[in-house]
Amino acid sequence: MSEQIRYNRQIPCSLKVCRRLFGVADQQQVRRDCDALMASYLQEARKRWNFDFATETPLEGNYVWERVPSLGLPKIYKSTACWATPINLGGGKPPSAGASSAVAIPGTSQGAQASGSGTGRSEPLEEPEVAPAVPLPRGRKRGQTSMTDFYYSKRRLVFSKKKP
Amino acid sequence: MELLCCEVDPVRRAVPDPNLLYDDRILQNLLTIEERYLPQCSYFKCVQKDIQPYMRRMVATWMLEVCEEQKCEEEVFPLAMNYLDRFLAGVPTPKSHLQLLGAVCMFLASKLKETIPLTAEKLCIYTDNSIKPQELLEWELVVLGKLKWNLAAVTPHDFIEHILRKLPQPGEKLPLIRKHAQTFIALCATDFKFAMYPPSMIATGSVGAAVCGLQQDEDVSSLTRDALTDLLAKITNTDVDCLKACQEQIEAVLLNSLQQFRQDQRDGAKSEDELDQASTPTDVRDIDL
Repeated sequence: MSEQIRYNRQIPCSLKVCRRLFGVADQQQVRRDCDALMASYLQEARKRWNFDFATETPLEGNYVWERVPSLGLPKIYKSTACWATPINLGGGKPPSAGASSAVAIPGTSQGAQASGSGTGRSEPLEEPEVAPAVPLPRGRKRGQTSMTDFYYSKRRLVFSKKKP
Repeated sequence: MELLCCEVDPVRRAVPDPNLLYDDRILQNLLTIEERYLPQCSYFKCVQKDIQPYMRRMVATWMLEVCEEQKCEEEVFPLAMNYLDRFLAGVPTPKSHLQLLGAVCMFLASKLKETIPLTAEKLCIYTDNSIKPQELLEWELVVLGKLKWNLAAVTPHDFIEHILRKLPQPGEKLPLIRKHAQTFIALCATDFKFAMYPPSMIATGSVGAAVCGLQQDEDVSSLTRDALTDLLAKITNTDVDCLKACQEQIEAVLLNSLQQFRQDQRDGAKSEDELDQASTPTDVRDIDL
């Protein structure tokens, strides 16, 4: 097939190939199964990273989560202006607009925080258990995609807190 | 590969890279990592309750027809089947979701392998609009999550050039051997028997079946069947007996498929819509056994 000339994908769908194989799926069930599987992935990720991606809350576990001020990060993670339209990854609701200038990364000690706060523009650290950890940057689709990006958009809650 | 056709072909295709195709380290690496992308279990026995093997064949045949009609790259279909099998090995799925899943797998494989990928809308049309683009996009994430975003699976196609260049076949015969081997690989992907076989074995068996099939018409038989199998087994470090069995299975499936095709053709001739029969699921018509 690949050796034939391809006409720009403007190939019409022939009636013979267009067919439903097993009837029409119950849309409610499709949606429920989708949600259930997505929730199970979230749960897996929550265990693996001891981080609740739904509420952006660090949990007890192997990883110590801490805020990282935006200053040390590449530009792409800081700006929110160039991604005015939230990218809907297909997960029903588009991600809510929680503009942020910082990102949470797992670290192994609290000491690493010092390098960020020493730059003069320190972010006020909030109690991680209470405040949601800092949202991931909205431009994530443009950068390296990681598995957890997608949990985020699917399960993202509305953030009441605005960054200063 | 017809290099000159790029003047009319809107698809940009890289030239074959000798650094990738003629280096044994690449072959060894492929052999090392291929097992990682096999489905974890024979899922009809241990995972699926609703889905039967014949349903997999139905959805696979449909997927192959879509890929052929849309002139997808050869790897798209086997890769999509790899995603499907890996997903089904982990998630009990009702049969009513199977076509949606097949469409999602083609969507992903096409995006990974093609410069002009299949669109969600087009795939939905192929399901006779039994699914919606939005559902396709949502399930894309579901499948990606289950596959842990490991999409760059090794397929039998990855081995073809490595095998072909080590065969003592005259160069002018290679395109035909390649074409037949590719057809056999697609055929294997439609049959669950082969789903747990390492891609290298399917590739080796397919090349073996292709060479043997083509040699039958000729007086000059450069290699006996056994000598060929030994040689092929060495190239991909496959056990000789396994390889023999695999090649025989491929030949049996091919025979079966040809008979099925002739049957369909007779049936098609009776019911007047024989014109459409031109688009068979596989290209096996022009293979002489």
